[in-house]
Amino acid sequence: MKDIADQEVIDIGDMDVEAFNELAVEQGWSDGMPLYLPTEEKVARFVETVRGDNRPYAPVPPRQIVPTVQSVAANAVMAGCKPEYFPVVTAALRGVLDPEYNLHGSLATTHSCAPMVMVSGPIRHKLGINCGSNCFGQGWRANATIGRALGLMLLNIAGAKPGEMDRSTQGNPAKFTFCFGENEEENPWAPYHVQRGFAPTDSVVTVMSGEGPHNLNDHGSTTGDGLLTTFAGSMSTPGANTVYGKGPMFVIIGPEHAATLRRDGFTIETIREELFRRSRIHASRISAENQDTYISTGHKPDGDWFTIGRSAQDIHIAVAGGPGKHSAFIPSFGGTTVACVRINP
Amino acid sequence: MIATETFKPLVLAQAKARKVEPKLIVVKHPIGGLNADELRERIEAATKGLSEATTR
Amino acid sequence: MRIVNPTFGLAAAGGPKVDLKPVNWATDAIALVSNSKPNARELLAGIREKLGAFRPIDNIEFLAKNSASQPAPKDVIEKVAANFRGALLAIAD
Repeated sequence: MKDIADQEVIDIGDMDVEAFNELAVEQGWSDGMPLYLPTEEKVARFVETVRGDNRPYAPVPPRQIVPTVQSVAANAVMAGCKPEYFPVVTAALRGVLDPEYNLHGSLATTHSCAPMVMVSGPIRHKLGINCGSNCFGQGWRANATIGRALGLMLLNIAGAKPGEMDRSTQGNPAKFTFCFGENEEENPWAPYHVQRGFAPTDSVVTVMSGEGPHNLNDHGSTTGDGLLTTFAGSMSTPGANTVYGKGPMFVIIGPEHAATLRRDGFTIETIREELFRRSRIHASRISAENQDTYISTGHKPDGDWFTIGRSAQDIHIAVAGGPGKHSAFIPSFGGTTVACVRINP
Repeated sequence: MIATETFKPLVLAQAKARKVEPKLIVVKHPIGGLNADELRERIEAATKGLSEATTR
Repeated sequence: MRIVNPTFGLAAAGGPKVDLKPVNWATDAIALVSNSKPNARELLAGIREKLGAFRPIDNIEFLAKNSASQPAPKDVIEKVAANFRGALLAIAD
């Protein structure tokens, strides 16, 4: 077969799926798990779901090419998406292309970050996106394949080949897929997309270049104040990029923890303020060399304390998951933003 | 541009994407985490590389 | 069977081609630009000190990105372009 890198459509003859997967590995198109065949017919069915959305894509860094809707769809097909998931996938791609998301930096970094994809609004139920028990985990096709589609796009369109453009020291299982839905029905406050100014009836994708979820286990506390003590103590981590990168982070509160916090009068704003104040890291927990580095790059301590973000506004709050006494902390890459994109109906 | 040998492929890949040809001085990896004695070797190598690159 | 190439895209339009002026590394003003990662500044400082044996160094200045994880800000790039004939970047570690 001649060099196929520059061909939009490739004739692979009578290749079966196993042979195609060998080709995909050889071409560097694979995340290591089996792929579906992105036939022209399948790709066309996906493209049909975004008909009318004619906004061009920005050049995708680091590779700096402008993808076609067909090449974007080919990745969603390979990931195992259903056609109706494709508007969510394209919204997620537009999210990571927000200049403030810093896609180039987040892909070329040695940090372990991967795109966290959170889906809000009515489309969660229409597509069967898991918002409840094990929402970060396996078992749900929409969660698994929407996140995987974005990961394949970053590999194939952005060019983030591990060991070449993707320089992550250790990586992160979330680089395979990390997509979940908000549990809006058990959120005693406003859903995240409404906090960001969208209508409750809008369906929205939120993306952040983040680490995997850090568990916040608290079975013992019976008050909101106690829960925040546990959350903040676990968030106070000198190894997070946000300590010196000063970027956003998510706290995904489990529904039972959320109910306790709400019962005790906490709001989104007071939770953010309390967590920001209580999660400061004492200088004694940060090496002298790191303190020098932080200070020389403009991240000055407040007395003897380093904060985990720039302000309480860096702490983003959503509710997801099912029964149980667990929540999650997801620190970001640091030099990034939390981007929200409305999904075209 | 000074790059460590480990990160040279990243520099070249990004340069290719931007259609530029960087003048590279390649030194051993890493730079971060070295103490002053260890860093001295990198400074020697980089200075030598700069001298060679700018007198050609 | 025909498949769609998942890597396909169109090359982004590049910026205008810039003709670089020649640099006299023995005398011209030089910017030493750090990516703000640990030891980048120390590496560049060591090089500057060694260059002192061969050339004046009072017109060799340090500049840095705000953050190792973010692109160099426009004002830093403009400062390099406006004030220096050459730049040595310590960026790839």
